[in-house]
Amino acid sequence: MVRKILSYCYIYVILLLLYLPVLYLIVYSFTAAELAGQWQGFSLQLYADLFRDAEIMTALGNTLILAAISALVSTVIGTLGAIGVYYCRKGFRSLVENINQIPVVNAEIVLAMSLTVMFVFLGQNFFGGESLFSFWTLLAGHCVLAIPFVYLNVKPKLQQMDPALFEAAMDLGCSPTKAIHKVVVPQIVPGILSGLLLSFTLSLDDFIVTAFTRGPGLLSGQAQIETLSTLVQAKIKKGAVPPEMRALTTLIFLIVLVIVIVYSIKVNAKNRDTLGKHAKRRATK
Amino acid sequence: MEQLQGKSESSFIIEMKNVTKIFDGTTVIDKMNLNIRKGEFVTILGPSGCGKSTTLRMIAGFEIPTSGDILLNGKDITTIPPYRRPVNTVFQHYALFPNLDVYDNVAFGLRNKKIPMPLKDKEGHPVMKVDKAKAKDLKSQIRRIRHDKIIDKEEKEKRLKELQARLQEVLQTPVQAYKFRHLTEQEIDEKVVHALSVVDLDELEDRDISTLSGGQQQRVAIARAITCEPLILLLDEPLGALDLKMRKDMQLELKEMHKRLGITFIYVTHDQEEALTMSDTIIVMNDGVIQQIGTPEEIYNEPQNAFVADFIGSSNIYNATVIAPRKVRFLNHAYDCLDDFPVNERVDVIVRPEDVHLSDFPKENYIQGRIAAKVFKGIHYQYVIMIGHDELLAQSIKDFDQDKPIYLDIRPAGIHLMKRANDLNVYTDSYIGKDHRVYIDDAPFDCDLSCLFASSSVDEDGIVTYDKKRYDFANADVIATIDPRALQISDDTSEANITGEVITAVYKGDHYLILVRTENEEDFFVATPYTFNPGDIVGLTVRKEDIKMKLKGEIEDYEI
Amino acid sequence: MRYKSFRKALALPFTLFLILFILVPILFIVYYAFTDSNGYFTLDAFKSFFTSTVKLNVLLISLLIGILNTVICLLIAFPLSYLLANPKINKNYMLVMLFVMPMWINFVLRTGALRDLLSVVLGWMGTTTGEHPLLCTMIGMVLNYLPFTVLPLYSTMLKLDHSQIEAAQDLGCNPFRTFTRSIIPQAMPGIVSAAMMVFMPTISSYVISDTLSEGKIMLFGNSIYLSFSNSDWNGGSFMSLLMLIIIFLVMLATRKFQGDGGERRSSSW
Repeated sequence: MVRKILSYCYIYVILLLLYLPVLYLIVYSFTAAELAGQWQGFSLQLYADLFRDAEIMTALGNTLILAAISALVSTVIGTLGAIGVYYCRKGFRSLVENINQIPVVNAEIVLAMSLTVMFVFLGQNFFGGESLFSFWTLLAGHCVLAIPFVYLNVKPKLQQMDPALFEAAMDLGCSPTKAIHKVVVPQIVPGILSGLLLSFTLSLDDFIVTAFTRGPGLLSGQAQIETLSTLVQAKIKKGAVPPEMRALTTLIFLIVLVIVIVYSIKVNAKNRDTLGKHAKRRATK
Repeated sequence: MEQLQGKSESSFIIEMKNVTKIFDGTTVIDKMNLNIRKGEFVTILGPSGCGKSTTLRMIAGFEIPTSGDILLNGKDITTIPPYRRPVNTVFQHYALFPNLDVYDNVAFGLRNKKIPMPLKDKEGHPVMKVDKAKAKDLKSQIRRIRHDKIIDKEEKEKRLKELQARLQEVLQTPVQAYKFRHLTEQEIDEKVVHALSVVDLDELEDRDISTLSGGQQQRVAIARAITCEPLILLLDEPLGALDLKMRKDMQLELKEMHKRLGITFIYVTHDQEEALTMSDTIIVMNDGVIQQIGTPEEIYNEPQNAFVADFIGSSNIYNATVIAPRKVRFLNHAYDCLDDFPVNERVDVIVRPEDVHLSDFPKENYIQGRIAAKVFKGIHYQYVIMIGHDELLAQSIKDFDQDKPIYLDIRPAGIHLMKRANDLNVYTDSYIGKDHRVYIDDAPFDCDLSCLFASSSVDEDGIVTYDKKRYDFANADVIATIDPRALQISDDTSEANITGEVITAVYKGDHYLILVRTENEEDFFVATPYTFNPGDIVGLTVRKEDIKMKLKGEIEDYEI
Repeated sequence: MRYKSFRKALALPFTLFLILFILVPILFIVYYAFTDSNGYFTLDAFKSFFTSTVKLNVLLISLLIGILNTVICLLIAFPLSYLLANPKINKNYMLVMLFVMPMWINFVLRTGALRDLLSVVLGWMGTTTGEHPLLCTMIGMVLNYLPFTVLPLYSTMLKLDHSQIEAAQDLGCNPFRTFTRSIIPQAMPGIVSAAMMVFMPTISSYVISDTLSEGKIMLFGNSIYLSFSNSDWNGGSFMSLLMLIIIFLVMLATRKFQGDGGERRSSSW
């Protein structure tokens, strides 16, 4: 019993430490003080300010647009790639998978640097000294982060699939394109979805690659594309987290929390289900 | 066009002409010629890796032959993709679509089907257009033949010219154009219900695939393949995953279904019993080559070679020599036989266990043996009888005592003579290396160069002295011959001259004749008392005095 | 078109992307690392890195902080994952998710929050973050990388063979020996991949050290970022190449313990 209590203490103390900084911002998002740490009475002023703050809204918009587009592009390229590579020879497959593994294990800053020097070189030597940095280079950077993970999420689903399904579909009159979308894709939808979600969050959270590969564009117009990460970084370099951002933290926290709760309930139900099945099977024996 | 229609009256639904399939340099099907009659239940039988599945996949359209043609009702379909062939397949592991229920699985093919309807203009006259689909098919045929490296040049030129001419004709003659419509849901429903009733699954329409038993999944797979009313149903070892009892039931049911549907079944299996029970015609394949085509009775009673005899049922196979017209000697005894082979020809003799007559007391012409083992098989006993060093398998309903002398006879009708497979190893493209060893299949073998010429001698440097002249045979081309009995076979490949994979193993009374194939596709026949299984990687060694050689060129060229 | 070539052709955009945006950029890094600003071959970047005590110090400190952070994270996360995976203590998946959840809150924002919080707490103690750069950086590193450590450890702990642990106890191992002889070897793949997840990002991290040490601690990542800000492509490329080589060597050394590299991250879903 004592051991159990100690265990719980350990778990919850660490959990608290983990969330302390975020909770600190959340608590002080409900007061209008300029600096966190000063309580000036309950107020929702910061939330109102947040939505009026053009800078933050632009960054938020950029972040979401970029995440959505890069997730979509990465998912399409990565999924088609996984399907294609699945049907290729083993030698080619392991070669591609080794290259695919590079961004997974590589430091983000090395990826960012390598893309940057390439764009610089191409700009200087092939585009008459013009800067290539734009939304497109940024998109390429985020896809480099995401595509390998899409591939890794789709691949196991393909391996679980009966390899003869594609041929069965063609045998029954499907053209190759139709066979892919009517038979293969439905089998790997879970992998595609988790790949999509992962690409989206990788893009949302990224700072380094964004800072290196961005150029003017999107909602920022002629200015450098500002995402949430780059904006926050610029702000905290100068001083404390800006007050409106405290409100933003609360909102992000709540959204993520809801997703986590819904997901956990699903997983818990599934676990109980399989446990129940095992129990039943044992009982019938 | 006329030519095509004329041909389609041929009684063969499938014709394979000189079909060769090469995967990554390995010949899987070697110049196969095969005709399949309309409405037959044909079984392609052979051990795994013999090319039977590849044959089926070429008929289905999943593989395109490296060379050769496949005709369906006389029409060239070699390059037509699977989704445009009136042929459906029942896959080995069913390959049902797990995201669809039983009904949708069965309806899948129907939903892709398109019904052609003659296109008419406003006045009701038929619209004429160039048949683009046909032109495309011809173009892909032309492409295939152009890339074919196996057929000879003249033939290639002739066929290309012919196809080009036909292509021009198709491109210049407009024909009745068609528009296509999908089947209505009602039409689909009728056909699905019918197909499900054929396989006795009417009740299970709405079930998920994952909730079905193996046997039920099997039935869904069959229903799915027959709803589109194919001309041919291809079955790729469909019963392999079922248990024994299920398999027996399904065999009978498939046979029944074949009768009712009246379409051609092409069935692939490695199970000889399955083949014998169900088929009208059996095609026995081994190593990419058809060994024999015939009815089950013919295949069983008149096997054309040792492989077929060994693969179909249990049988006794012996090396024998024809000693007089219709007289053959084996088991140290002369027997009369019905097959007429030239005198002194070395042949294989096959005796089925049920054709051996046993007696526990001596009779005229009966030879003596000893019962080494005995197994009760329900209605009969099976005996292993030792006659000298030879083993003989026999059956009898009588109960004889083990380890006692037994007398046996084989009547002429029970003796089948077959041409001996060429089991002498002859290598015509061998050569002597600089190290004065012989290179067979690019592997070096120690050899005795003095065997090239009688009464010659060889010194330590590999220089041959013959008739007082000296010869250096480095780089000489030779024909090397090795007797199968001289080759030593072993699992240990480290010390071997050459290694390879066991392709077949046939038991010949007192030894196995094993065919070993090296990486470079060179074959070695080995006679050994030990058992090896197909697929084993083995090493071969040979003593240097056992390699016989003959010089290909003139001896003068090598004088020094 | 033959259907087999069609299927393979689906991999074309993917393969092209891998070549254009992953392989080729690495070649550019190699090119820039060994050329000068005029594009001539030179070993300047190489020489200036290995002769500069400042830069070598950066490398050394990065490695030290990387190892320190890895050890601390493992020490905290190992018992934590063991408890979380123990059905007697925790059956609720949500608790596990809560440990992973910070990963999905913008990490620059979290780092800023921590900096603000630390300056308040240190303010109470009469000091500032600027006076304890190492402490603040370490706290930031541990808090940021702990979730990445918990995840792979938790999934290996779930797979622990409890009968083997019981067998060890049955055969007379005391709890300590059971731990070192049975649990640790079984959890080794998880430990290695967790260590990978922490060590390499730590030495190459930029935001955490930059924010929390107020620029006083330079890690390898900061150095590369600095050369990027100064448009020193050659120096930056050389350091990136060096980083790449370090990663490659570490991967090679831990290869036999590693499962599929991607499973660690994708298993969070």
